[in-house]
Amino acid sequence: MINNRKYDVIVIGAGPSGVSSAINCAKKGLKVLIVDLNSNSGGQIYRAPPKTYKSISKKLEESEIQKKFSNEIKKFKIETAFNHTVWQVSPGFKVNAFNETSTIQWQTKSLIIATGTYEKIIPFEGWTTPGVIGLAACTVMLKAHHFIPSKKIVLAGNGPLLMLVAYYIIQFGGKIDAIVDTSSKIDWIRSTLSLITNPKNFKDGIKWIFKIFFNRVPIYSTSSIEKAVEVDRGIKVTIKNFMTGKTKNIVSETVAIGHGLIPSTDITRLLRAEHIYNEQKGGWIAKVDRFLRSSVKGVYLAGDGAGISGALAASDKGLLASSALLYDEKIISEKEFNQYTHKILKKLDKFEVFAIAISKLNSIPKNLIENIDNDTVLCRCEDVTKKEILKAVDQGAKDINQIKSWTRLGMGPCQGRTCQYATSKVVAEYLNYEIKDLGYLTGRSPIRPVPLDRVLGDFDYEKITKVEAAPL
Amino acid sequence: MTQTDVAIIGGGINGGSTGLELAKNGLDVTIIDKNFICRGASGVNAGTLTMHMTRAQLIPYAKKGWELWMNTSKWLSNDIDVEKKNGLCLAFTEDEEKLLIERSKIRKEYGADITIISRKEAKRIDSNINSKIKCAAFCEMDGYVSANQTGHAYSKALKENKVKMLENYDVSEIDYRKNKYVIIFKNGEKLFASSLILATGVHLEKTLKLLQININIKCLPQQLIVSERMPKIMDTVITVANGKLSLKQFKNGTVLIGGGWPGKGNIEDNYTETKPENLIGNMMLACHAVPKLKSSRVARVWLGLEAETDDAMPIIGKLPKFKNAYVIGSIHSGYTSGPYMGKLLAEKFLGKDVDLSLFDIKRFL
Ligand SMILES: Cc1cc2nc3c(=O)[nH]c(=O)nc-3n(C[C@H](O)[C@H](O)[C@H](O)COP(=O)(O)OP(=O)(O)OC[C@H]3O[C@@H](n4cnc5c(N)ncnc54)[C@H](O)[C@@H]3O)c2cc1C
Repeated sequence: MINNRKYDVIVIGAGPSGVSSAINCAKKGLKVLIVDLNSNSGGQIYRAPPKTYKSISKKLEESEIQKKFSNEIKKFKIETAFNHTVWQVSPGFKVNAFNETSTIQWQTKSLIIATGTYEKIIPFEGWTTPGVIGLAACTVMLKAHHFIPSKKIVLAGNGPLLMLVAYYIIQFGGKIDAIVDTSSKIDWIRSTLSLITNPKNFKDGIKWIFKIFFNRVPIYSTSSIEKAVEVDRGIKVTIKNFMTGKTKNIVSETVAIGHGLIPSTDITRLLRAEHIYNEQKGGWIAKVDRFLRSSVKGVYLAGDGAGISGALAASDKGLLASSALLYDEKIISEKEFNQYTHKILKKLDKFEVFAIAISKLNSIPKNLIENIDNDTVLCRCEDVTKKEILKAVDQGAKDINQIKSWTRLGMGPCQGRTCQYATSKVVAEYLNYEIKDLGYLTGRSPIRPVPLDRVLGDFDYEKITKVEAAPL
Repeated sequence: MTQTDVAIIGGGINGGSTGLELAKNGLDVTIIDKNFICRGASGVNAGTLTMHMTRAQLIPYAKKGWELWMNTSKWLSNDIDVEKKNGLCLAFTEDEEKLLIERSKIRKEYGADITIISRKEAKRIDSNINSKIKCAAFCEMDGYVSANQTGHAYSKALKENKVKMLENYDVSEIDYRKNKYVIIFKNGEKLFASSLILATGVHLEKTLKLLQININIKCLPQQLIVSERMPKIMDTVITVANGKLSLKQFKNGTVLIGGGWPGKGNIEDNYTETKPENLIGNMMLACHAVPKLKSSRVARVWLGLEAETDDAMPIIGKLPKFKNAYVIGSIHSGYTSGPYMGKLLAEKFLGKDVDLSLFDIKRFL
């Protein structure tokens, strides 16, 4: 299992920021490996359809960008390890990953972490019912597979993903029973206006909204899903307007819900880097300097891992982080570094306007947290309810790790990726604390569940490492 | 500035159990911990209550500890899951068979009710074990605790018994002035105490140094592996002849793989890191013992730091040359016997006739 291949740089994550940073390093002659659990580069935004889906690959604009990535990766002789899931990173740095058949370990001098974000979902009664899926998960189905989860669907949550998913569903012939949005229409108008500075996003936004209006999709603003129950051949959702208090029931087939994205901090937490809480940037994020260096020497953050700023900023963030690396490794001069990064930083400032507008649309209204019922499960891996969390808090659990050990919250296969955000909100609200005072879950390996049969393969008893017997 | 009768430094299973017993006897007790209660070894250990892995000389104490664990509602709280299970210790080779027979015999001499059984009998007790075993050792006195709940249970019990808890208080100095111990914290605050009990686990070497007592305490970083929840795949606590595996399935379906396979770590900055090759070894051994385990996925790996003296035996009792100062720690399978060891030290403290000579710190001085 140990493969002692050594690299100058390992880039984890092959989205736009990972790819741009890998290219930047490879251009300067560094030996680079790029790792991703997907079958190709592109990440979430330029997600490539599987190679066997020949006909749809041609249609998407995203596929073009993806192809460009693939070509550049080849051109600059960047080694790739697609279909590899990283499960452990240790100082020094050793990166462990597994694929369909085995595990592998690489070594590297520097690390660029470009692992992006994951889905943020604020729980509600019935959110673990089969048929309730994440909005981001839904985009994966749409983009990579041109697959709509069901003929009829309710979309809920907030932010631009809501509109993007709606657009694609209509495009692929699905019917949207309702869009349930926590934001108000005024929020949308305000945010859309601030997007004018960014023509590409603005154009996309207008295109989505037109499609949705044209198809007369019912939109419920300042509303959320109060409850979802499985009914015969479908799912009954109760929509509540939290301004008027009015509720309405709808029967549909699937609910796709999401409240924005959470920066992925699994690896930086594992490496014990410093983290800070920044609600606008998505929650807990690795602490970085202007050039995206983390607090651990040799570890850089590209993309959304150190705060969400979106796809267009991603490749520039990759360039910034990799430039810092090249400068730290004395591969480029101070002058070159300054000239280059000066330009990127200016560009990134512009994207920041856009990022702030988006984050406003994705802000979590207080009611959404307050309205979580006591019997609602917050940690779905371990079935821990809000009531159990609050009981532990009442009995004296004071930080998120203590809550974890008393209740098992965050101990399951998702390692708290899904529940930490909402639980912290619930507890902070209850105790009138700030989330930063509750801390964040200690990073634990494996950052993705490791299938034992794959890691171990077939082995003979005699081959198992011998360790000294315990004293009698 | 605050006062207390007894200051216990270190709120793990040892400090916690001693404090609980003293408080029940009417003393004014303050437990100090630089973290929260039971977040050190006592909150992260495997929670196995087995005789098959206990050092022979400690069997009588582990048995008493086991009995206390089986009756937590009487002395601790209902907020902790404890399960009684049968224990099977497996031998896969002829050498292991020899070792198992020899070790079981000695443990039996010290009072553990262990019998050697055939493969067939072992399979009847738990059909899920590997059919290729040579033989097994069987003991009814086995089981486990969900150790992550220790902090919850102890906090509650200590609070109910009016023990004061200073959590997130790191002791940096200890003075002795006018018949009082002056405990000075990193944040500058002080606490005056008539008596002192040191129970800082893996940090004991450092804490004893504050009293100019110099002994070696090794720090053993140990890895634990837990699977995601899965259907029932085993019904016993499984160990192996050389003591390097403990395996059981909790009620919630997760399977915990332990056995003291070393990882990396140090006490200075509390840093721990897994050793992938040892994770693999430990997982292989577990899958060899219970083959169905191979279809599961590992959800989480973590490490704990265990304390060990030069002779791997505990230090429990009075500190020589000091008035009203005691120590407790470095106990092998210390989670199993901790509640009883704490009780014993409390009785000694209260002047009862308790023989702790086996654990006297003087042997290192
Ligand atoms: C991975 C692992 C698995 C194990 N599995 C088992 C098992 O299955 N069965 C079993 O019986 N035993 C097991 N053990 C052993 C058992 O966990 C320990 O023997 C026992 O928990 C030790 O308890 P303690 O109270 O001495 O130490 P701890 O629980 O470590 O408590 C010491 C406390 O002192 C505090 N402290 C330290 N320094 C200071 C300071 N300067 N100021 C204030 N506070 C301080 C610490 O924060 C800590 O809370 C295992 C141990 C490990 C590490």
